[in-house]
Amino acid sequence: MRKFLIFIILIFSFSPHYLYAQENDINKLQEEIMLLKSQFEEIKTSYEKKIEQLEAKLEQLEEEEKTTASKATQVASIQQARNFQSFNPDVSVIGDFTTFSTDQKGDEQYNRFNLRQAELAFSSYVDPYARADLFMHVEPGENEWHLGLCEGYLTLLELPHNLQAKIGKVKANFGKINRQHLHSLPWVDYPNMLTNYFGEEGMSAPGVSISGLLPNPWDQYIELTFEAFNNNNSTSFASSDKKDIVYLAHLKNFFELNEKSTLEIGGSFATGLNDDGHNKNRTNLVGIDITYKWRPLREGLYKSLTFQNELLVSHKNQSDGRQRIDSWGAYSSLEYKFSRRWSAFGRFDYSEFPDYSSRHDKAISLGLTFAQSEYCFWRLQFKHTNRNYDKDTNEVWLQCNFGLGPHRAHEY
Amino acid sequence: MRKMIILSMAFVIGFFLTTKVYARQDKIQVLTTTTDLKSIAEFIGGDKVKVDSICKGYQDPHFVEAKPSFMMKAKKADLFIRVGLELEIGYEQLIIDGSRNPKIRIGQLGHLDAAEGVPLLEVPTTTKVDRSMGDIHPMGNPHYWVDPLNAKIIASNIANRLSKISPENSDYFKENLLKFNRKIDEKLSEWEKKLAPFKGEKIAIYHRSWSYFANRFNLVIACELEPKPGIPPSPGHLKEVIDIIKRENVKIILMEVFYDEKPAYFVAEQTGAKVVIVPNSVGGTKEAKDYFSLIDIIVNKLAEALGR
Repeated sequence: MRKFLIFIILIFSFSPHYLYAQENDINKLQEEIMLLKSQFEEIKTSYEKKIEQLEAKLEQLEEEEKTTASKATQVASIQQARNFQSFNPDVSVIGDFTTFSTDQKGDEQYNRFNLRQAELAFSSYVDPYARADLFMHVEPGENEWHLGLCEGYLTLLELPHNLQAKIGKVKANFGKINRQHLHSLPWVDYPNMLTNYFGEEGMSAPGVSISGLLPNPWDQYIELTFEAFNNNNSTSFASSDKKDIVYLAHLKNFFELNEKSTLEIGGSFATGLNDDGHNKNRTNLVGIDITYKWRPLREGLYKSLTFQNELLVSHKNQSDGRQRIDSWGAYSSLEYKFSRRWSAFGRFDYSEFPDYSSRHDKAISLGLTFAQSEYCFWRLQFKHTNRNYDKDTNEVWLQCNFGLGPHRAHEY
Repeated sequence: MRKMIILSMAFVIGFFLTTKVYARQDKIQVLTTTTDLKSIAEFIGGDKVKVDSICKGYQDPHFVEAKPSFMMKAKKADLFIRVGLELEIGYEQLIIDGSRNPKIRIGQLGHLDAAEGVPLLEVPTTTKVDRSMGDIHPMGNPHYWVDPLNAKIIASNIANRLSKISPENSDYFKENLLKFNRKIDEKLSEWEKKLAPFKGEKIAIYHRSWSYFANRFNLVIACELEPKPGIPPSPGHLKEVIDIIKRENVKIILMEVFYDEKPAYFVAEQTGAKVVIVPNSVGGTKEAKDYFSLIDIIVNKLAEALGR
């Protein structure tokens, strides 16, 4: 019994210490648990946040994928439809409609509406080495419409020494304006110089044209072109019943004066036998063209100026000891674009005739162009012509030009 | 006369045969159509490339003329990079054909369409596309470069192509691509943070060139000043725009540096919206020196205008 009491006393004597120690431990443990709990909560919140973010991102990506996939399917089907067409050439049609009025009542076009021309253009790469362009014109005749080939040529793109060749019916690379089609002129009509020396639509005939860029230390664009084509221009050379060739050389120099303005200076020379005493007498034509263009890049949609000038000198030999006919023609044109849709122009023409150096035309033209869009424009032009061999004339045109399809971009 | 012709032809042929090719350089010559592509190509190509661009950043990229001087640049190029989607339809073919450089013809190693692999927006879903829709791009909206994630695709396309042209520098280009992507990721979170408060905000634009940007930064395009792409604003259409801006509480009119500001300021006067003129391409303003500063400017100006 005594032993039992001593044991009990001993237990009780130690118990406060024990209890105290136990209480400390519990507090510590509780603190640790609290810390762990808070840490766990923190980790949990941050992970939940991250998971939420990831889920949102996943959702977004899934949505994007869905949209992209549906778009891709749409695109694929559209592209498939287009791919079938991509082997077809680019086809475009350009219509040129005019109303014309003149004070010459005898003029056959007096006060007439006229669809002057519809141009059909076909253009495509033939193979990796060549492309082809065909321009056909439908024009009104006396009682019916005529279809003619204005130009049709194959361009060999990958000849050695950076040469390029055109084979077919090509508009002669004489000067600047002869290469341009009616619809791409900055005026309603061709300058008198061109019509007097090359005919109504300029000089073009079946032949070959070879051009190359001349290497030079200044890295300037210098292009030299040689052409040989059938001698069937009846105005300056011979008519189509003769079987000889007209030779032509053209040198084009292009200078970028600064980012706003450029200067192009060209020189042309053409030689061929003329009708007068065939196989003996030759016509030599020399041409100079100077074009200055100004177009500030930032405001380029709204402002630009083109100052274009050409001079042509003709030496036409004659048979039977008659004197050589030396004659010349020139034009100077200024075009100013003053808003996105509007531009104004003026042109001065002086031109003699290859067969009559004593006869000349002097003309002044003024006009206004309204570009309804990139593919349709309206143009009003007044032209006063003074002739030393006939009556003066006053003419007014209202032109409407419209294009369908992806017509090939025009040269600068 | 015949002798003269033969002599002059012989002279020219001789000139072609004997003249050395000038300005031969060791660096890869790259010609891009836009300055944005130039900036990215310079980052990826580093000191292994020399990059030039046809269009300036302050110029409307739709209306670039095929100047013969561009043909001279293209003549020397080892790589020609275009935005594609017919943005360059008015001049690309003339420049490439005129350059007489077979390396950069479409389909060749030296011709790259930067749009490859870019998820496109506004691809017309009608089977027929015509000009009654304005200057529409049948393959999709070509202004994709203003989305920084698309810039990563452009950069990857350029790195891959440069690696093919110069395999010995492939690692260098890949390393630069990684750097570019890292920088885009860093900057993108910064740009997103700046524009995050304006999520869902409606904006008016001049031309449809901000779709990719708006899509990336969660902005909503409420209306365009052009009645149809490429068609100048008409009074009738501006009246509709004014109604939309008032109705939808549009705060800003976002436009590029090269468009006429008058219609935008007229609308702003009628509605109280603010006109924000920003560069759409590198070099559009002096501060837009590279791709990153370009997006910096757009984001900062937008955040500032929307925050008012």
